[in-house]
Formats: sequence, structure tokens, C-alpha cells
Amino acid sequence: MEPGWVRLVPPVVPDTAAYLTLANRGKTPLRLVGAETPVAKRVSLHRDYQEHRGGHAVLGMRPLPYVEIPPGGRVAFRPGGYHLMLEGLKRPLKAGEKVELTLLFQGGLRVKVILPVEMR
Amino acid sequence: MKRFFPLLLILGLLGLGYLLLPKGPHSFFGTRLLNPKPVDFTLQGPEGPLRLADFQDKLVLIFFGYVHCPDVCPTTMLSLKRVYENLSPEERKRVQVIFISVDPERDAPEIADQYAKAFHHDFLGVTGTPETLQEVARTFGVYYQKTAYRGPGEYLVDHTATTFVVRKGQLVLLLSPDKLNFAQNPGYLPKVVADLRALL
Repeated sequence: MEPGWVRLVPPVVPDTAAYLTLANRGKTPLRLVGAETPVAKRVSLHRDYQEHRGGHAVLGMRPLPYVEIPPGGRVAFRPGGYHLMLEGLKRPLKAGEKVELTLLFQGGLRVKVILPVEMR
Repeated sequence: MKRFFPLLLILGLLGLGYLLLPKGPHSFFGTRLLNPKPVDFTLQGPEGPLRLADFQDKLVLIFFGYVHCPDVCPTTMLSLKRVYENLSPEERKRVQVIFISVDPERDAPEIADQYAKAFHHDFLGVTGTPETLQEVARTFGVYYQKTAYRGPGEYLVDHTATTFVVRKGQLVLLLSPDKLNFAQNPGYLPKVVADLRALL
């Protein structure tokens, strides 16, 4: 696991995104199926979606049921790709504070990570 | 010495001429529109109507998005903030960043403006009625569509994520979201700044 961050968003925004890189050093695939955090009502997995219309890039995001990390592989969650969407923030986050996020994997594995809140 | 004089004179003149040569035209990083398109709109800001034509003396950067957008919109808005902060205070006076929310159902003009101002206090946020927004979107060739509808107030919005640069009421430059994703491409920042300077 590599350090990640939770994006500081304007206080009027009730949702934010968490980014990190997950590496699977095991011999079997790992499936991230969700996450929990005390600061938001729900965490969902998303991947950016892109299509072209009228000569412009139309962007959006699509919820994913899971994200698979192959054995010996890694998946980077970063702007423009995968992100963990923290939906319904219970309070506005502050720059520099640490957010606890519990990653839920198929099979019951739970991994707790602490991510700093940063405006980037 | 005397017979070298004409030669020195010619060399001197050539040197002077070289110094006076206009620098080659700026090669744009964004998509420069060869046939600039006239554009205008009147949308609602927190203090009432805001018309694009009122910013004739400024370079206006317009981004369409929505507030409940944690990845795409902040990526571009943070990049626009960094571009803006890289300009000198004098240059900044001649640049205006406007965020247009295409989600008026959830984003009142005040919300859109607070959102924009959270990135930089000089930025403006506006929105409009669904009908007006459709008209504005048509002018700019912008597409937006609700997706992943889960219930009232719970949905995502796909939207054109291009940043439009308007000078004197004409659309002159397009910056794709990729070119404004400094999170992934930090080297693009000076290129975008140079584009704006070339237009100022």
C-alpha cells in the first residue's frame, strides 16, 4: 500500500474522493468490494468514464461493484482514473486532518488506512 | 580598416535586424480556434444576472461542471487555480474564471459561487434555469446528462469537461480535461500559463 490522500473539497460539497495505490503481494487476486469511514455515510468505488461528443471529452464516473488487484499487481486510485467516493460527508473536512478508511476485501479481509486531507 | 567598414556595417545591420525580428508565433498547447466563435450568455450569479459580454476586457475561462463531483471537477478547478496563481497580479486582473453548474436542481447560484470561490476567491460560480443552461450548452457545444440515478437528488452527471477560453466575446481556445489534469501531468502547467499569456 502506498500513501494516498483524501481530497479537500469546498465546504458546500457533501462528497469527496480518496486516492491511494493498492498492491497485491499475494498469489491470489484481491477484490476490493467497498470501504467504510467514520466521516461519510457511504463509500463507493468509481472509475472515470469518458466519451467524445461534439469534438469534446465528456467525462463522468461510474460506480463499480469491485476493483480487482491481480497477484503481484497494483491498482492506482488517482484523479482521472479510479477513486473511492466518500458520499454524504457528516461534516466538512479540514486541510491536514487524518481520515480513517477501512478497506473491505472479498473474503472478509479488512484493512484500515489513515489518509491525510489535502487540496490536490 | 577603411575597407572593412562596409562589411562591419552590413554585419552590424544584420545583427540589429535579427534582434528586431518578431519572435515566432506562440505555438498553442490548447486547441486554438482559427475561426473564433461569438459567444454570450446571461446566467444567475449569487447577486443576480451575470452576462458574459460584461467581461469584454478580460480573458474568460469557462468550465461547466457540478458541485457533487468529487473527481473530475476538482481536478480541473484545482488546475485552474494553479494556472491563475501562476499569473502576475496585473495579469490576473485581466483574467476571469467562471464555473457554470449544469446541475441547477441541486446547485443554487449561491452554492455554485461558493464552490468556485473555495478554489480561488476571484472565481465566479453561476447557473441558470434548465432551459437557459441548455441554450448556453448548445452555444458552446457542451453535453451533459444525468446518470446512475439512485433517487431524488442522488445521481451523477456526465458533462463536457473542456475549459473554454473567451476573448472579447469570442471563443478562441479550448483546453481539454487531460491538458488541465496537473495531478497526472504536472508538466502541463507552464504550457497552459503560456497559452493564456499569449492571449492576454
